[in-house]
Amino acid sequence: MALSFMEGNEAIARGAIAAGCNFFAGYPITPATTVFANMLKMLPPKGGVCIQGEDEIASMGYCIGASMAGKKALTATSGPGISLYSEQISFAIGSEIPMVIVDVQRLGPSTGSATRGADSDIQFLQWGSTSGVPVIVLAPSDALDCYVLTVHAFNFSEKYRCPVFIASNKEIGMTKESVDLDTAVLPPIVNRTFYSGDGFLPFEAEPAAAPPFLPIGGNTLVRQTSSTHGPDGFITIDPEVIAANQQRLRDKILMAEESLTLYEETVREDADTLVISYGVTSRAVEDSCQQLAESGTPVSTLSLKTLWPVPQKLILEKTKAYKKIVVIEMNLGQYIEEIRKVVPSSNLVFYGQMNGLLISPDKIMEVITHG
Amino acid sequence: MRKEFAHDELMMPGHLACQGCGGTIIMKHALRAVGPDAVCVIPACCWTIISGNFPYSALNVPVLHTAFATSGAAASGVRAGLDMQGKHDTKVLAFAGDGGTFDIGIQSLSGAAERNEDIIYICYDNEAYMNTGVQRSSATPERAWTTTTPVTHPKSGAKKNMIQILAGHKVPYCATANIAFPDDLYRKVRNAAEIKGTCFIHVLSPCPSGWKIPSEKAIEVSRLATHSKVFPIYEVYHGEEYKITMEPDEIPVSDYLKSQGRFRHLKEEDMDFIQERVDYEWKILLQRSMMEPFHMNF
Repeated sequence: MALSFMEGNEAIARGAIAAGCNFFAGYPITPATTVFANMLKMLPPKGGVCIQGEDEIASMGYCIGASMAGKKALTATSGPGISLYSEQISFAIGSEIPMVIVDVQRLGPSTGSATRGADSDIQFLQWGSTSGVPVIVLAPSDALDCYVLTVHAFNFSEKYRCPVFIASNKEIGMTKESVDLDTAVLPPIVNRTFYSGDGFLPFEAEPAAAPPFLPIGGNTLVRQTSSTHGPDGFITIDPEVIAANQQRLRDKILMAEESLTLYEETVREDADTLVISYGVTSRAVEDSCQQLAESGTPVSTLSLKTLWPVPQKLILEKTKAYKKIVVIEMNLGQYIEEIRKVVPSSNLVFYGQMNGLLISPDKIMEVITHG
Repeated sequence: MRKEFAHDELMMPGHLACQGCGGTIIMKHALRAVGPDAVCVIPACCWTIISGNFPYSALNVPVLHTAFATSGAAASGVRAGLDMQGKHDTKVLAFAGDGGTFDIGIQSLSGAAERNEDIIYICYDNEAYMNTGVQRSSATPERAWTTTTPVTHPKSGAKKNMIQILAGHKVPYCATANIAFPDDLYRKVRNAAEIKGTCFIHVLSPCPSGWKIPSEKAIEVSRLATHSKVFPIYEVYHGEEYKITMEPDEIPVSDYLKSQGRFRHLKEEDMDFIQERVDYEWKILLQRSMMEPFHMNF
């Protein structure tokens, strides 16, 4: 494929196809609808299924059913839709049902502005489910990222048997840009491990890993419950069994932090400032630091692609050499607190903006220079 | 000074609807019929946008813009709040699109209808999700084009019959209406305003961009919908007593279908199929209205 002109939402759909996605269910919502529209074009000719639910609850239910039947499922929505997905996100986390959930974020709260971008849901995606189990959230900054990170998202969801979120943004999802997908470096495709042997116990797993999978409706009788269950998949009230399962759900994500960490960086010699950002904001940060470098002020940048689990080791290591750490967010400070847990507050400078507009490189330069 | 400019329109200029939008005409007539002592509850739909950005506001009544799935419930809440203040005469008008009524909002509407809340619920039905760019809803007619039911795979399955669903709740009043017959629409909303309990009015709402019709043809196409019996207009009292309020001219459905781009892909056999369906549904409606005897098969 040569250079093409596409929006982030189309790149996500293409990434999903590249990852082997064969099921999509969704419900119209700006600015995520074009993920659905593109899947509708691409998926059925490849033998996949693409369905419009009667609402978000139904769409998410479709994905849970399809994933349990062994399919690689994708859904896409925006903040208000994530709210309606919430109960079933908890189900997918607790019952280890793989799927990829795209959140093309718009300005909240609530209905907010359907056609204005913001990184509204960064904390919501992690904490919008019951019981506080860690989740995986990836944040693309451009169309090429949308393509590559969707493949990573499917891989992670298959390996760790959990829902994986892509925290896109209206400004990436619905803006067309030139992109050459051939330049993308895609990871090898990962498929969930299928159980082989006799005596299948649906949730019997290594201490910090996901259990092997068998599809519902296959040769082996598979039961699935949204209630608290033990390794055998039956409802349990045994405190030890409950505790072990809670710990495993937590550990399988947190102990994989390093293999889940994706990022980009530009290290400039003699820089004493590092700018940390994510999503579409990273592009303005890169522009502003380029301009500053040209005018003789070298500033390094770190663009986080994995937001959850928080790549604490990476942040600690990358910030060590700098006197000043600037954090820029397209909200009023949702991720800065996560960075503050790792980096001393005295070194941190924060700028957040949530007014429906992109943060301009000029503003970022001002924050870097005078902040 | 203020008095000289006073007028009794409750829907004002300055709205943001497209040209030829049926939803604005329905709102205009409905508000006039309900009167100024009313609270409007609007979920996510075209009307979220239509009422206008500051400094414009097309509605001269209080408006609660609520979440997509919740018009029936939010209207029930407003009703309860008003009742607690003794404002039993203030009307609560829920005004939702077909997606917010037939699909995502059906649960809260059913809840309100089952409790027989004293609300008027108007569905302006443009037969697809028009605000997000023409995706099918369960109100989309069979074999119609939308972006999610492309011409290679047009909408399969019949349009959901909401009046039957509401009639099944035995609410005191249900009706269908059409902007091409504004006196009938006005009378039905007026009727609903005078009845205690849940009143449901289903109004066909042409959408020039989604139906692919010229905006100046919106009324004409709507009129054809009723005269071809595709969208008959009638009332149902207490879920049982059916009254047809407009005698159709019985023109062929192809006259209605051919007037719209969303049906351009239909072949003669599709038209015949739709004609057969429409004739069948009309016969059932006549029977329900006791205008034609039931025929037993034994």
